[in-house]
Amino acid sequence: MTHLEKIRYKPISVKKILREMKDISEVMIDLAYSAALFNNADLAREVMELEERVDTLSYLLNMNAMIAARDAGDAEALISILTVAAATNEISDAAADIAKLVLLEIGIHPIVREAFRRIEEQLIRVVVKPGSKLVNKKIGDLDLAAQIGVDIIAIRRVKKWIIDPKDDEVIRENDVLIARGAPMGIEKLRAMAEGKEVVIEE
Amino acid sequence: MRGEGSASKKRVFEKITEELIELKNTSELMIDLAYSALLLNSVELAEEVEMLEEKMDKLHTDFELRILSSNFKPEEAKEFLGLMRIGSVTERIADAAEKISSLVLRGLKSHPVMNLVIEEAEETVVRAKVSEESPLVGKTIKEARINERTGMWILAIRRNNRWIRPKSTTRIKAGDVLIASGYTEGEEDFLHLVSGA
Repeated sequence: MTHLEKIRYKPISVKKILREMKDISEVMIDLAYSAALFNNADLAREVMELEERVDTLSYLLNMNAMIAARDAGDAEALISILTVAAATNEISDAAADIAKLVLLEIGIHPIVREAFRRIEEQLIRVVVKPGSKLVNKKIGDLDLAAQIGVDIIAIRRVKKWIIDPKDDEVIRENDVLIARGAPMGIEKLRAMAEGKEVVIEE
Repeated sequence: MRGEGSASKKRVFEKITEELIELKNTSELMIDLAYSALLLNSVELAEEVEMLEEKMDKLHTDFELRILSSNFKPEEAKEFLGLMRIGSVTERIADAAEKISSLVLRGLKSHPVMNLVIEEAEETVVRAKVSEESPLVGKTIKEARINERTGMWILAIRRNNRWIRPKSTTRIKAGDVLIASGYTEGEEDFLHLVSGA
């Protein structure tokens, strides 16, 4: 029996909720495909958590939008927001279905998986270990995109998700980083997060 | 005989992979285009999304038929089921994108809040064909530095009726149709760059 979170109305701006829904749904797609390609249950579980978050946000957004509509003009203006929110919710459900393939051990055919993996950019999930050089560094200062060709697309800090982190975001111990890049860069980031010495060539 | 069989099996797998990647990329491209269509209130972009949705339907059917006719062994059934499920997911993502872009075709405007949500909300969208003389020919998206030079972002590339979602490593070819969005001020520079004039 799954435990469903109780929903209560909270006054939150529609803008804030919608941005979070959109950002999360996009990261979920990437995470879900990677979970399937690498047959990685950890990534799949991250996707399932995000899916729950999107469900909660969807209720909150609908309630706040209902309160915001005073007349027919408002209703017409708000329908685009509700439609986009519903679309991000569907995208997140779709991503969750990919993740479930991993959790239910259905998987995808290994030959296709291998081929897919060679062609597509890779995604990893790494935990920042104490002692890693990444700890207490700003994302902007690390400039990983230029240094090793890797982009950090999300950070999970205990239960909180930071999607598409800004340059001034500081990485902390035990952060879970989700990053995308070419296989070599990905391996370098993994080593950095684990506190190993990494040589960066020009 | 055995070698022949495994070679043809390899081709089937190559084809399945190719189609799956195309389904995935098309569905993701549709989301990008759909958001842009809504923001820019662009009927043109919304119609592109509709066209891609039709293409997705066909691709998805081909993909499913290829899997069903691939003579997989009973013990492989589960892994092929996984492939089919992923195919359906791409289709659902495409449907979600179409739902967004159809707002534009129904004459419903984007709410001002939406433009704040989608940060890359720019002012205009242009489409231009890369000429033989353009300095962009043969360069990757990263090398071309289009954004630095013109302030425009490449949303999508159309090459011989195929849509490509640009990555930093995608190489631009003569004859490519680039769809870009950005501020109106950059439009002229962009068109110069693409035409090579």
